[in-house]
Order: sequence, then C-alpha cells, then structure tokens
Amino acid sequence: MPLGLSLAPKVLASKSLTSWVTPIAHWYANLAGYRKYGLKYDDLIIEEYEDVQRAIGRLTPRERYDRAFRMKRASHASVLHSVLPKEQWTEPEKDVRFLTPHVQEVEKEDKERAMWDTVFVSRK
Amino acid sequence: MLAARTSSRTVQRIARNFATVVDSAGIKVAAVDNNQPTASVTFLVKAGSRFEPKPGVAHGLKNFAFKSSAKRTALGTVRESEIYGGVLSASLSREHLALTAEFLRGDEQYFVDVLTSFITSARFTPHEYNEYVSPVVESEIEESKLNPGFQAIEAAHAVAFHNGLGSSLLAAPHNSITHEDIRSFAQSTFTRDNVAVLGTGIDQATLTSLVEQSLNKMSTTSQLSSSTSSYFGGETRLQAHGGIQTVFVGFGSAGVPTPEIVALSAYLSPTPSVKWSQGSSPIAAALPEGTAVEVIYMPYTDASLFGFLVQGPTGSAVKEAGKVAVQALKTASNGLKGDDLKKALAKAKFAAASAVDSREGLVSVLGSKVLFGRESSLDSTLTSLDKVSESAFAKAASTLVKVKPVFVAVGDVATLPYVDELGL
Repeated sequence: MPLGLSLAPKVLASKSLTSWVTPIAHWYANLAGYRKYGLKYDDLIIEEYEDVQRAIGRLTPRERYDRAFRMKRASHASVLHSVLPKEQWTEPEKDVRFLTPHVQEVEKEDKERAMWDTVFVSRK
Repeated sequence: MLAARTSSRTVQRIARNFATVVDSAGIKVAAVDNNQPTASVTFLVKAGSRFEPKPGVAHGLKNFAFKSSAKRTALGTVRESEIYGGVLSASLSREHLALTAEFLRGDEQYFVDVLTSFITSARFTPHEYNEYVSPVVESEIEESKLNPGFQAIEAAHAVAFHNGLGSSLLAAPHNSITHEDIRSFAQSTFTRDNVAVLGTGIDQATLTSLVEQSLNKMSTTSQLSSSTSSYFGGETRLQAHGGIQTVFVGFGSAGVPTPEIVALSAYLSPTPSVKWSQGSSPIAAALPEGTAVEVIYMPYTDASLFGFLVQGPTGSAVKEAGKVAVQALKTASNGLKGDDLKKALAKAKFAAASAVDSREGLVSVLGSKVLFGRESSLDSTLTSLDKVSESAFAKAASTLVKVKPVFVAVGDVATLPYVDELGL
C-alpha cells in the first residue's frame, strides 16, 4: 500500500467539511516543508514498490524528467543544509497529484488480477 | 426375378446455406450457418495498411485489438474469454483489419460484445501501447526479418504500387507511432460504412440484432481516403544473410481482378494435386533440385499482383528456376489449348470452392465483396471462372506479361540474377 489511507474523498464529499479543512490542509502542506525544497507532494510517495515503479513508467517523458530534476535539486539543497531561494519554491497551485492517479490505476489492475486469479465461476 | 432394387432411402441433400448480405442501417452483416459445432464472428474493418495516414499505424491498431475498453480491461477480456472457452484474434491485410472471435454456440452475446466494445470504446491508453502493444509490434518486425519470402512480397508491393497498396503491412523498425496516432486512425476508420460483420455458425437475425444493439451509436461517415491504385513496376535488391535465396518476379495490373489470371495461376502453380508427385504444371518438371517456385496471386479491390516467388539454396539455382518459371509463363501467355485450359479452370474452381470451407477462407473470400457491396456468393465466383474462354485467357495473359515487371531479389545480391537474366 504505497499510498496509505486517505480521508480526502470523505472530506471532499461534504461541502461544509471541505471549507473547514481546506485552510488547515494548506497550512499543514506548507508546514511540511517539501515545497520549500521545490518538490511536489507526489515526489514523497515511497517509490520502492513495484506498483509505484510501474506507475512512474507511465508518466510522460516530460513528467519523468521534471520529477528527477526536482529530486536532484532537493537533494542538492539538502546537502547545502538550506532551503531553496523563495522563487524556486513550489507554488501551491502547481503542487498537483501527477503520480497518484497512475498508482491508483496500477493498484486497481492488481486488484482485478487477484480477482480473476481467485474467481469462482458458475454457469447460469 | 430380382428386380433392380431401388433405394428407398432418400439421400437428404444438405443445402448449403450461403451468406446473404443484409444491410442493417449501414452495417453489412452476413452470416452462414452450416450447423458446425463452433461459431465465429469477424468484424472486418477497412483499416488495412493502404488506408493508414502514417506508416505502421495499421499495424499498431491491429496489436491494440482487445486491449482495454470502456467495458472491460485487457486482462478482463483475456480471462473472461478463457472462461467462455473462446479464441480472439486479429489479423491485418493490406485492405482489411479482421477482428475475430471463435466460440461455442450460445456464447455469441458475450463475444459480440467484446468485439463491439473494442470497436466503439477502446481506450488506447499510452501505457498499454508501451507495455503491451509496442513490444509485440517490434517482435513481429524482428520475426519478419527472418522470412525472405515475406520481405520479397512486401518490397514487391512497394515497387509495384508505390503508395496506398504499396505501404508495408508492418511498421518500420524505428518508428514514431504514438497511441494518439492509433486512436485518431481508429476513430476515422471505425464507422458504419467501413465495418462489415461476418458470422459463421450463427443465425443471421441473431447476429444482426446483437450488432445493431451495440453499434447504434457509431458514426456513419468515414474520413478515410485512399487513392486508386496504379501499377508502376521496377526492380529492387535487398541484401540479407542467413536466409534462403529469394527472387520475386511479378506482374501487376490496376483495375478489378479478372478470373483469367486466377486460371493462369492455377495452370502454372507447381504445387501437385497428389502429395510427393510432380504434378503436370509446366514449371514443376523443369525445376532444378532444391529450388521451389510458388505462384503468388494477390487480388485487391482495384488492382492485383501476380508473380512467382522463386527460392533456392544458391543464387545460380534461383536463376535457373526463375528462367524456367518465366519461360513457362511466356508460353502460357500465348494461350492455352482446350484440355490445358479446362484443367486450369477446374483447379481454380476447386481452390475457390475449398477455400470457402474454412473459416479464414470464407472471411477472405467474402470479406472484400461484402464490404464493397458486390454479389457475395461462391456461385458468382465459379460462374465467372466458367465463362473464361480460350481467347479471353490468351488476351488477359498476354496483356499481363507486357507490363514492366516487378523484380525483387532478397539474399546474396551479388549472386542473385538481374531481371534481364531471367529472359524478361
């Protein structure tokens, strides 16, 4: 389970809950600090999973290149013990989930394969 | 005393039920039910390589068949079809893409649904192209490199017809095809007037209603275009190593294929009617040891290519065999005398009739005729062969030989003959 549990769909389903939680979510995301290193949230997904590897393979070449670039830049900043200059921070609107949909699709395929592997057939 | 016994049994004649084409709101449906134990449904689409907007897209589309659609995923299609015990296949020719499902009688609802959901709602995802389609495309290209006969015929089409019919069945080894190219080709070709449905072992009414249900939302007009073919002719030599030495000598013609050429290829074909015998073809008797000549006749809707595929272990043996074949063709082009022509016509008629016995044969024989709305029965093919006269044959054969030939040599090009060395 590389993605872990998420309450986001439940929260987004309710309008009032969304308006309550959104400011807290933004505050938390900024506090987490990854944006100061120029990363996107999906760069934090643990990639040492087969599913995630397959999902990364489904990114467009441009997305793959940009992801590698952000990681390189972030590790360099980490070596220097400082965050990036402010103009290179990830803007909240650019912090989109580019990998999660692919991971979810791969998980769905795994689930379907498991279903077909164990399916019990009866003729009508 | 013993009166001649008349048999009381009446031999029940099983009337062959031939495909009738029903045009149901733009989709041509033809079904044949001869009470065979299995049924098959073929969706024949005008999506062959001659219609492709970019080289190799038709090949990509063929390998995209039965991948994920709006109704089920690629894995789901495979597993569910296995549960039903059916076989799904896709094959590509220069004019048609055939998507076929073979299954037990009674499962038609599921399998027609698999075929129509691919036609109407295939997803053409980029990762499926990268993970499933493009590896198969590449391996088919690799495999074709080991088959000099296939290479020779591909090259012959390119030389004979240039564009359109000349475009290769397979994609190029290093191509720039994307899933988007394939998707837009599929959108332009999967339309009502481009699709014909052929069923065997299935009732016409059942098939029509199943097809109508699922294809009612399909758009009518196609944006496909292919210029009418014209024949050019020429020579090309391809260096190859390791394979058998191969030469293709061909004569093409634009226009609707004629039955005279079918008779000519039946007359010349050295394949014996009885195994391990020599046969009475004028080529068979004179062939050098170890060489083989295959008569190739490829009819298309608006052109045809007739020729010899000559194969042998060395260039000089191929040259000898090629000379024999060309000499036989030249003799035959002066016309055939009574019995020879009758024999050729009988062979051609048998070949045409027995082709219809198999499912693949039925689809290939009826397919193009059904799609182009012509008379689709074996009888019409046989009567057209019956009408071949000595004079018509001589005229057709001599015009065929007069055109500039197609010549392709594949193998050791230093030893393989040139076109003038074969006596042309």
